[in-house]
Amino acid sequence: MNQNDLIAFFTRQAEAMGAQVIPVDGAGGIGPKLVEVLRPFGQRVALVESSMCREAGLEASLTAAGFHIEKDGAGFARQADTGIVEFDYGIAETGTLAMDATGLKARLATMLPLTCVALVRAERVRANLTEVIDAYLERGNWPGYFTLVTGPSRTADIERSLTIGVHGPERLLIILVGNNGGDCHGR
Amino acid sequence: MAGKEFKQRIHRALNNASLRGALGRFADSYIVSREQVYAGRDFESLRQRIAAIKADAAGRYEELAERFTRAVEARGGKVFRAHDAAAAREYIYQVAKEHGVTDIVKSKSFASEEIHLNEFLQERGINPHETDLAEWILQLMPGERPSHMVMPAIHLPKEEVARVFSRYLGQPVEPDIKNLVRIARRELRKKFLTAGMGISGANIAVAETGTIVICTNEGNARLATTVPPVHVAIVGYEKLVPELKDIVPILEALPRSGTAQPITSYVTMITGPVPAWRDDSEGIKELHVVLLDNGRTRMAADPVFKEALQCIRCASCTNVCPVFQLVSGQVYGYIYNGGIGSILTAFFNSLEDAAEPQSLCIGCRRCAEVCPAKINIPDLVLKLRERVVTKQGLSSGYRIALHGVVARPKLMHTLLRAAARLQGPVTHGRPLIRHLPIFFSSLTEGRSLPAIARAPLRDRVKDLERPLSRPRLRAAFYSGCVIDFVYPEIGEAVYKVLGREGVQVVFPQEQACCGAPAAYAGDRETAVKLAKQNIAALEGTGAGVIVTACPTCAVALKKDFPELLTGDPAWEARARIVAAKVKDFTELVHELTRDRQGSSGQPLKESGRALKVTYHDSCHFKRHLGLDRVAREVLNGQPGLELVEMQESDRCCGFGGSYSIKYPEISRPILERKLKNIAASGAELVAVDCPGCVLQLRGGLDQMGSAVQVKHTAEILAIED
Ligand code: SF4
Ligand code: SF4
Repeated sequence: MNQNDLIAFFTRQAEAMGAQVIPVDGAGGIGPKLVEVLRPFGQRVALVESSMCREAGLEASLTAAGFHIEKDGAGFARQADTGIVEFDYGIAETGTLAMDATGLKARLATMLPLTCVALVRAERVRANLTEVIDAYLERGNWPGYFTLVTGPSRTADIERSLTIGVHGPERLLIILVGNNGGDCHGR
Repeated sequence: MAGKEFKQRIHRALNNASLRGALGRFADSYIVSREQVYAGRDFESLRQRIAAIKADAAGRYEELAERFTRAVEARGGKVFRAHDAAAAREYIYQVAKEHGVTDIVKSKSFASEEIHLNEFLQERGINPHETDLAEWILQLMPGERPSHMVMPAIHLPKEEVARVFSRYLGQPVEPDIKNLVRIARRELRKKFLTAGMGISGANIAVAETGTIVICTNEGNARLATTVPPVHVAIVGYEKLVPELKDIVPILEALPRSGTAQPITSYVTMITGPVPAWRDDSEGIKELHVVLLDNGRTRMAADPVFKEALQCIRCASCTNVCPVFQLVSGQVYGYIYNGGIGSILTAFFNSLEDAAEPQSLCIGCRRCAEVCPAKINIPDLVLKLRERVVTKQGLSSGYRIALHGVVARPKLMHTLLRAAARLQGPVTHGRPLIRHLPIFFSSLTEGRSLPAIARAPLRDRVKDLERPLSRPRLRAAFYSGCVIDFVYPEIGEAVYKVLGREGVQVVFPQEQACCGAPAAYAGDRETAVKLAKQNIAALEGTGAGVIVTACPTCAVALKKDFPELLTGDPAWEARARIVAAKVKDFTELVHELTRDRQGSSGQPLKESGRALKVTYHDSCHFKRHLGLDRVAREVLNGQPGLELVEMQESDRCCGFGGSYSIKYPEISRPILERKLKNIAASGAELVAVDCPGCVLQLRGGLDQMGSAVQVKHTAEILAIED
């Protein structure tokens, strides 16, 4: 599969698993897109700094649109409506996101709010878990807290009826950021 | 074995409509969705990889545990090796006490249930809160037992959950599932944010890196391992794998086999302590891993049961188990369910605790087909049964029947002949058994005598053994008791069909019961005795092939005899020579008629219409001998038949030999389901390759007043065209 096929496959799988995939051309497109889609879900946003956030100028564009941004503090993400976090990889086979979530804020922002926005670079979509594990192993020390996320938090514990948002987010929005100006090295 | 308390539990489960309904619906849909989620994948090679990884690990837990410990410590975490449940509990309690913990959030962990951690902590003033939704619901219902390993509250209707929540909240709660889930989120979120400690289990532990891997859908493990400042992971030794790459096949199989999902929503891999909020600033979490032995290293040292440590706890074996589906985890008890559960219980608890759960297995082998760790569960259950019997002895009824009668073929044959003469009034002269007899049932349970043929096959063979002038093959017929004494006509059909194909058949008069009833009752002693007698009898014939028409006998001759006699210098080689000659009747016919196959659908001459036949796959015939396709090909080659498939053709009929006497209440509903499928197929005749199934199905259809006939394949082939 070439990268475009992988991206298409990833998108199909992620949506099948209950995520919503929103492609944007480049980092510059993220801000306006988020302003549009996050509006109905509340004003309070927990934002985790990352290279992509800075490139996209997310804080500025969300603040300008009237969102309340929190980036730190003891109660970080506890009251937020949305958490925004950059993930390291997408895995096409299962529509999964992968992240070194050793940083505490990345974990809190992806789990506490009802809406989770996952930023991921399209060229970082890999075929399967083995490739992603290899990529981390090549980088050196295995992460302290490595996480795979596929779709929203779900349960079928009552009458086997699928219900989302039990402990983690009920909405997973994957912003798939195209090559336009991004890091093209793939690792 | 089956004590009164246990029988009561069975009856309660069988009479619990919502339990049975929920489990039944789940099991039906599971089979379909499991197929789908594995579509296009090579399940066989996947499970071979998993089995290899886990078997290798089980061979060197000590080394892996040391490596794991070093890796965790290098990152700043602590590892405590707990020899038993008490040590694990005490350690965890001390950690909690040291930190002044009053509330603990827990994500699902079998190990913590196994060591009864919650009760222990509660008694010491610490509140553990289960956060997996189902576990929380059950925690709020003292006395309620989990019904399934992966979905422990599957049996509770939403109305019941609403009642439980409204009791907890002290206010009315709408029985709407979304609403119930929202309440759980809100209430448990408070616990996550205030608890002083998080406790988790682990699905895998990687020795190379000191990583623990946890799969959840709800995300509760992520929160329990992220928010509180202390994390304790309870990890059984069997979770250890050597390297990081070993997790890949396990992660591929676990969610697929467990809930038919390609992956769980969250897979969390924790390697050493990570940042956490401590007091008023960000600090480093305290990580404790409790490596739990509690019988596991003893199991790993056991050459037979070591295999069970390959288990990845997906519960698919219970999802396909016809017995589990009826009785649920509430009956098995002791945390781990189904056939595998009884084996784990024997080591993690005690052999005594496993005695009743293991007896529930009917031996249909469906679980072995789907186990992603390639564990031969039914064979292990039989081995366990042997150990139970060695330790506790046979029940007196069984002892009389097996030692006193079955182990003494001459006496048994005499008794059967006597029974054949006496039974007239009991069976009203009809050669049909209404109440699922096995020969010694009358001796054990005070049941009516079985309808035993007036003249057993052994007395009829003189007339059947006409010498052929130039036989293609000389075969010894091993009939087994059911054909010999209940259905000699099946034996006659075997003679007729094989004679037609040029096979000279002889009947060794010294043959005795194959020993299966003893083996399945855990009576190895009798099984060994009978194996020797039969080997001697079969050797005497000098025949090139030993033909059976009963798959249970075939398995005994082919597989059990060599195994029973392994290490016996006088018998082992002889057992293997006999075993190598054994061939099922239908298999032999298939070989002999290969050039004439594929002429199905030709109408019978007189009636001008094909007879609709449906095929029932006998458990041992399909899953031990692997002859399901062969039988269909043979039937398809028979003129005048139209083969129609019934639903679930390979589901057990519920016979299981003496099982149907020991657990009639379980055997019956299994049979009923089979009969429904037969009726729905529209067939006029059921073809089957096992006389035990013939007995069970005829009895069932007769009781229903059905006109559908049941015949052994040999009888069908013997019909003159
Ligand atoms: S025995 Fe096999 S099928 Fe059963 S839970 Fe274990 S791994 Fe799964
Ligand atoms: S062999 Fe059949 S009855 Fe026994 S545990 Fe497996 S599925 Fe259940």
